[in-house]
Amino acid sequence: MLNAFFLIPAFGQNITIQGTVTEKASGQPLPGVNVIIEGTSIGVTTDFDGLYTLQVPSNEAVLVFSYLGMQTAKISVNGQTTINAALEEETEALDDVIVVAYGTTTKEAYTGAAQIVPSEIIENRPVTSFDKALQGTTAGLQVTSSSGQPGATATVRIRGIGSLSASSAPLYVIDGVPMSGSLTDINPNDIESLTVLKDAAAASLYGSRAANGVILINTKQGKKGETKISFNQQIGVSSRISDGYQLMNSTQIYEQSWMGLYNQSIITGNVIADAKQFANNNVESIVGFNPFGVGSPLDDNGKLINGTQVITDTDWRDQVYKTGIVQNSNLNVIGGSESTKVFLSLGYFKDSGTTLSSNFERYTSKLNVSHKVNDFIDAGMNVHYSFSETNAPPGGGQGANPIRSAEIINAATPVYTGDGEYNWDNTAVRDFNPVGLSELDKYEYKTNRALVNAFVNIKISPSLRFSTKGAIDYSANKGLNYYNPFHGNASADSGINGRSSQSRSDNTAWNISNILTWKKSFEKSNLEILIGQEAHKEVFSILSAGVTNFSIPNNPELVWGSDPSTPSSYESDWTLLSFLGQAKYSYDGKYYFSVSLRQDGSSRFGKNNKYGLFYSVGSSWRIVKEEFMNDVDWVDNLKIRTSYGTSGNNSIGNYASLGLYGSGANYGGYPGLTPIQLENNDLSWEKISSLNVGFESRIFNKLNIDFEYYSRDSDGLLFAQPLSAGKGFRSILTNLGAMVNSGLEATIKYDAVQTEDLNYSIGFNISTNKNEIKNLTTDKIISGSKILEVGGDVYQFYMREWAGVNPDNGRPMWFVNEASNDVEEPEGLSSSFSDPHGSGRVVTSVYKDAERIKMGSALPEFYGGISNNVSYKNFDLSFYFYYSLGGQVYNYDYAGNMHDGTQPGYNLAVDAANSWTPNNKFTDVPRYVVNNQDQGNQLSSRFLEDVSFLRLKNVSLSYNLPSELIQKFKLKGARLTVSAENLWTLSSFKGFDPEGAINGTTNNNIPGVKVVNVGVKIDL
Amino acid sequence: MYAIKYNNLKVLFFSVMLVGLISSCSEEFLETEPTSSIPTDKVFESFSTASAALIGAYDQLSSFDTEGLYMPIMADVMGEDLMINSVDNWNWFVTVYQMNVLPNYTYVEVPWSQAYKVIYDANSIIDNANFIPDATEDQKNKLIGEAKVIRAFMMLKLTEMYAPSYASDPNALSILNANMAVSAESEDFPRATNVEIYDQIESDLLSAINLLGNYSDKGFFDKRAAQAVLARAYLNKGAFEQAKAMAKLAHQGIELMSVNEMYSGFNYRNSETIFTVAYTPEDNNIYLSIPSFYWPVAGYSSIRANDAFVDQFSFSDARKGFFLKEPEIDENRNLVLKFAHYQSVGNAEKISIRASEMHLIEAECEAELGNFSAAQEALFVVQQRSIGGASKSVSVGQELVDEILLERRKELFGEGFRWNDIKRRSIPFKREGDHWSKFDFGANDADYFRLTFPIPQSEIDANSKISQSEQNIGY
Repeated sequence: MLNAFFLIPAFGQNITIQGTVTEKASGQPLPGVNVIIEGTSIGVTTDFDGLYTLQVPSNEAVLVFSYLGMQTAKISVNGQTTINAALEEETEALDDVIVVAYGTTTKEAYTGAAQIVPSEIIENRPVTSFDKALQGTTAGLQVTSSSGQPGATATVRIRGIGSLSASSAPLYVIDGVPMSGSLTDINPNDIESLTVLKDAAAASLYGSRAANGVILINTKQGKKGETKISFNQQIGVSSRISDGYQLMNSTQIYEQSWMGLYNQSIITGNVIADAKQFANNNVESIVGFNPFGVGSPLDDNGKLINGTQVITDTDWRDQVYKTGIVQNSNLNVIGGSESTKVFLSLGYFKDSGTTLSSNFERYTSKLNVSHKVNDFIDAGMNVHYSFSETNAPPGGGQGANPIRSAEIINAATPVYTGDGEYNWDNTAVRDFNPVGLSELDKYEYKTNRALVNAFVNIKISPSLRFSTKGAIDYSANKGLNYYNPFHGNASADSGINGRSSQSRSDNTAWNISNILTWKKSFEKSNLEILIGQEAHKEVFSILSAGVTNFSIPNNPELVWGSDPSTPSSYESDWTLLSFLGQAKYSYDGKYYFSVSLRQDGSSRFGKNNKYGLFYSVGSSWRIVKEEFMNDVDWVDNLKIRTSYGTSGNNSIGNYASLGLYGSGANYGGYPGLTPIQLENNDLSWEKISSLNVGFESRIFNKLNIDFEYYSRDSDGLLFAQPLSAGKGFRSILTNLGAMVNSGLEATIKYDAVQTEDLNYSIGFNISTNKNEIKNLTTDKIISGSKILEVGGDVYQFYMREWAGVNPDNGRPMWFVNEASNDVEEPEGLSSSFSDPHGSGRVVTSVYKDAERIKMGSALPEFYGGISNNVSYKNFDLSFYFYYSLGGQVYNYDYAGNMHDGTQPGYNLAVDAANSWTPNNKFTDVPRYVVNNQDQGNQLSSRFLEDVSFLRLKNVSLSYNLPSELIQKFKLKGARLTVSAENLWTLSSFKGFDPEGAINGTTNNNIPGVKVVNVGVKIDL
Repeated sequence: MYAIKYNNLKVLFFSVMLVGLISSCSEEFLETEPTSSIPTDKVFESFSTASAALIGAYDQLSSFDTEGLYMPIMADVMGEDLMINSVDNWNWFVTVYQMNVLPNYTYVEVPWSQAYKVIYDANSIIDNANFIPDATEDQKNKLIGEAKVIRAFMMLKLTEMYAPSYASDPNALSILNANMAVSAESEDFPRATNVEIYDQIESDLLSAINLLGNYSDKGFFDKRAAQAVLARAYLNKGAFEQAKAMAKLAHQGIELMSVNEMYSGFNYRNSETIFTVAYTPEDNNIYLSIPSFYWPVAGYSSIRANDAFVDQFSFSDARKGFFLKEPEIDENRNLVLKFAHYQSVGNAEKISIRASEMHLIEAECEAELGNFSAAQEALFVVQQRSIGGASKSVSVGQELVDEILLERRKELFGEGFRWNDIKRRSIPFKREGDHWSKFDFGANDADYFRLTFPIPQSEIDANSKISQSEQNIGY
């Protein structure tokens, strides 16, 4: 190795010192160690055998031995001529080391934008999936939870929406291995910390999967020292997050239906007397039931006669929603010695759900072991095994969705008939009774998950390390859908007489990585080089079968059905082969540079585009270390960073580029094939290039202020381009266009009070993201309620503009918006007239004559969190808010309850009672007519709502029992906690939960949940 | 010291070799193939897979979006004889019955896109059948012939729905003439004229008649079926001589079904069936089927017959038995018993073409051509089957034509004909009696646009060759 001799000024007596520098733990000689005379720049480095020779001017000189990764040693000369040094490994303060892509580094040295989320934020939160606990914790991380089904995960986006149709979800990496199963299987209590990698310098090493950012999950590891056992038990009560809008009771729906029939008759041209007669004759069949005690309960004006007894007034929401119990128990054992470290945990989580037949139960176990085999090898294994069971009723527009049934079955419909049997008759979803079906039908899902990774780290020389890791991620899933033979989807009347479908599927992913790292330090600088190789393969296989025609009820196993349906099985796989490299260089503890490169080959892409190359460059400058900052005491940290790099998105179907014919197109008893996909050989990666500029500071030892500016350019976006029907397919996947996400993030933390007894700190983070489409291969793409066009964003609403109700006749109105380029030559202008509400604009009551315009975005303008932590002596109080400002939702659910009579059997929101009548002319609810043809309930801004909200995400009060008390019970620690999740929300949204799907639609999902929790934690 | 280092080097060396091994098989490592689908270029490598592709085309045609439900049922509720019930209809087809649809409605969009999918499947077969290495000439003819009938059948239905009638305006903008399978990047098809579309249909059917023989399995299109479809096309054009000729060929040698067979529920083929959509007990559209909507119980059961129409049937007419007033089910309106399930909901074939229709086409053509006695003969064949003690008509001229058109209504109701029959003859549209959505307009009135569906909004949005101004009148 190197032997560098520095000039030694020839003055005074020179003493020659020599010696050997070794590593204390192993006794191995250390080459390349700097040996310097303190206070000077005079020094040498040790040679290959750890030997050095140095001339020192006097006996008072002190020699400083320094080496990267080792604690610096200082030894005074004091008359010695042979000075040996044994250097110890640097044990850096734990908060300094952060886990990053393929290794660790320190916060100071890092050139990327990464945020650590510590375990305190995730553990003990009554959420089934840890991603829900992340909402509001990290600038740039947007977490949206659109379903309260226990076991459902949230939608997580880092720095905006990166893709139009491929997944925009980040990559999850657990203990260094990319994860390919559900997040719900992971026990949040096993997590030590999460690292959110936001920019190119941080994430680019993950190449083709890093386009949407990466979240590293680091599970707890053993520690040297006395074994700690802790047991944690929590119980909570959960309920629907809010009351939403009110639905009509049986009297109201009866009166409203009468009015609807009356209006229908009048519009057809009948006289008033005939219309009233018509309404009286038909109201019971429209509503389905007469909920009163008398045959003619309504007076001449269709209102309930005073004093009439109301026999039936079913609150279907009460029938479907309930209070749930959430239970969370965890046992952790952490221990270890110098050479072996062990972490063991067992966990049990149960959520009985806030809706009928919706619940979740999970058992988890984890064992992390690492062992120092000898001086240069250490090895270990991280193992996770879990089993979970979920019951989840169907969602969306299905008749069997209890949430939807609760909204549309009217209050005059009884739950039970006179004989105590379930009543299956109703005017909204006939033969479906959500209470009855929850007892008779089954939707059960079970998952077994095993995550095993084994690693060996070899220290080939003190500066060269080799690490190999092999991992398997295995999920086995079991699903059962059973429709009872009596009522609902497979009733005897339909001839099906019960249906049971079962599926068994598994997903096996293996991952092998080999990484070589080399570190070298020079006098003032350090160099670190990493090269590696990684291979990944996933195979999904499924077998499903079903039967119908059941001989006896309540037995969902397939043996009980006599008519088999065609069974099905198939496998689907994909592979990834990668090479990666990274170089990091730092100078003088002030200037840091990093460069990374990765090549990925994937089986998913078209023949012409199988490989992609991704790179990043990053740099940072620790201004605080500069000489001119030495006198500025009040600045503890000041650093700026920039980075630029590329990554890719490969998350589309495994065979999306091929032209394919599919099976199952059988006819007349013969098997058939039909085209299912058009070919696209040019199908390629989505490419994302991102620029990041960051600023970190800490001042007065109290205040942290961080800013980030980023701009992420997506190009070659995969999108299903709508096609003319003449091509045979409605769409084809192409690399359509370009999009930009740019924004600012700010994180502020203020440690207001830091005394022995009292600590108070407050944190605030805010993120803003602007999403703009830069290029589409066609002019514009209109799909449903949205439009994609250059200059707009990815969730841009496009629809007719609601203009209210015409006070003269109760008909709905829309603004004509002639200036819009929706139609080239606006037609039917004969139907337009001046707005009776005096806006000066032109309106029409003919739906197709109004033109569509852009009406805002589903994406919020700002979002973030505000957190407070107070601790006084043994008490801790923390609470944090999440806020989201801006953004809209098209409330399909509410539109379904304000149908204006187009679905005469469906229930209505109480708001519909305010519909136009000649006595109620000034209202925003159009006239109610059975089989209404006015089209007032069609897609328009009438049901487009702002979903800004402020939510108290979590409040938690804890008390650590005093040590005198604990020791009496021979414990090492005890802690009591009372907490609440989603306790309070402020929003103008009509509906249960302003947090809908990220693309701004509602879909009769189980609403969000609030939980109040108490817990005990005991340390032994 | 050195020894230990060499050990380290050995470890390093072996690891590098391992790495090398893994990456050396990279090319195959990155090639994966689906197990549940076949690449397109493999489908026409053998006759057996190509035949399966033809089966697949029939399967696409049997979809409830096209011939399975939407097309026939909408054609009847957009007439004066049948209706959707005003209550208990789950909102199915209500706006269609109300003659009030918009370009973005499902009823407008899905028949269009599904029909073109059927046409695409047929095009792939027609374009590639000649290159199948192991197929004989006869086998190729069978594939191409049947595919051409499938294509013509769908195009005829589409142009009847989405374009003004040929008879009223041969040069009106009609549907897309998608006569070959194209790739996604190729140019879009514009709206062709009625003339171009009918020319395509005629050429396809004449070619198919040449290529095909007659089959005993009526679940597939054969020569006779091609002749029948061509008869319909000629009838639409008002080409009575040609229509008559085709109709006669189509029903030649066929014995009409008996009254008993007629009562058996119209759910299985019989002696007079020329083409039926062959649903099986395991493979049908269950609730989205004709019997589900027509049969008074067990399905959506929302079809009712207009009382004025029921009154048109004399008491000696066996077909009067298709109507029923049953207060327990509906105290206000007539139920229809023509279409039944067989043992389970939706298990019913859809008889699409039958000989009685061909006789009626023959009668109408003869009447229009002035051959009144031949017309009366043809009409009588159909009437005598159902009407006890029937005697041959003695009407002539317009009176005879009207009698034949009325017989079409009585014989073919519920089978998907009325909408086109009104439109092709520009008959006035008048609903009376217990209809709850009434209209009364003639061919020259503004409301006549309601008899033509709009081009779906999604098509106009995605097709560069169709602009919003080329949308049908009234939309």
